[in-house]
This record gives sequence, structure tokens and C-alpha cells, in this order.
Amino acid sequence: MYIRVKRNKTTYFIQCDPTETILNIKQKLQSITDHPPNNQRLILLATNNILDDSKTLADQKVENDAVVALALRKDNEFEEVSIADPSDYMASS
Amino acid sequence: MVGKGGEAAASAQHKEEHEEDGDMVGVVKLISAEGFEFVIDKKAAMVSNTLRNMLTSPGGFAETREGEVRFPEISTAILEKICQYFYWSLHYASGKETAEFPIEPEITLELMMAANYLDT
Repeated sequence: MYIRVKRNKTTYFIQCDPTETILNIKQKLQSITDHPPNNQRLILLATNNILDDSKTLADQKVENDAVVALALRKDNEFEEVSIADPSDYMASS
Repeated sequence: MVGKGGEAAASAQHKEEHEEDGDMVGVVKLISAEGFEFVIDKKAAMVSNTLRNMLTSPGGFAETREGEVRFPEISTAILEKICQYFYWSLHYASGKETAEFPIEPEITLELMMAANYLDT
């Protein structure tokens, strides 16, 4: 399966397995974004639940193609969830 | 390479990194008309013959050396659908299990045009 991790105008497609923990996912994100797991917060968009590092994707009902928001820690506080909407942007062409 | 300084060593290492870009490992960034970015596994991008050619051709395209491909003609919604299709295809192309790939009727035409361009 895969999940879509979104922040602002960026979407990361992460290939994963229902038995993987959220920490595993954060480690995969670290390899792409360079942000360590403890600076990442993942929120399942469908329920607004903050996902727990120690639990698995299946435990927290994160299914194939789920959209998960990424918030990063800035100055000891996590930023607000922000996902840009394409309809707010005009195509450049 | 360890302990060797100098420009020659640095540029040799740089070259190696570029050559590794042709592998199946790592990620590529696809950028839509509105400037939205989709970061996907290289092996997912390889589902598209057009992207495969860009990513594997010797010398390479400037964009793919950077790990970024811009699609000024493809809208964000369509590009996201295409990325979903890449992953769906990776999972289900084996034919062992099947699931429908859902396509909303209102995007069908635009999606077909993009799929045709990407040879997917």
C-alpha cells in the first residue's frame, strides 16, 4: 500500500505496509525531507487524529491511499496543518 | 575517497552520484502546472515509459539529473491521479490480486491525454 503525506504544496507518496509503525513512516520521510522523526507530526486527515509513533498504521486505521498531513516543529512548537488547494493557484502556462 | 581532498576527487564523486541517479533507488519530484510537487519513488515513476526514458537515458535530461520534472501542461489533480496510478500499477500489475482503479468521469479526458503523453 501507499499513503500520501501532504504539507503545503508538496505531496510525498510513501510506500508502506499496514504493519509498519508511524515511527517507520517518519524515518522514511526523514530520508526525503531531512527532518528527524521527533520534529514531525503526522495527522490522519480523515479523522484529524494525531498519529502515535509506537502504533502501526493498521492500529490507527490508516489505509491504502490515505491522506496524512505533515506538520513540522518550528521553535519548539508544531506548526498548524497547512495543505494548499490547487484551485487557489492559477496554472503558470 | 576517504581522506582525499582536492577538486578532482570532489568532481569524481559528484559524477558517481549522477550516475547513481539512473538506478531504481531514490525519489523524483514531479511538478504540476500550478507548481504543486509530488515526490514519488523512482520505481513508481518508471511505470511511465516517458519518465523511464528521461530517467535512464545516457547523459540524461537536465531536469532528471536534478531529480525534478516539470509538467506545465498537467494540472495538479491530474498529476496526483497519475502518481496514484503508478503506485496502483506497481501493486496490482502482477495480477495476483485485483482492485479497480477509480477514475472520476469528469477528469477522464484530461487524464487520458496526460497518460498518452506519459506513455503509461
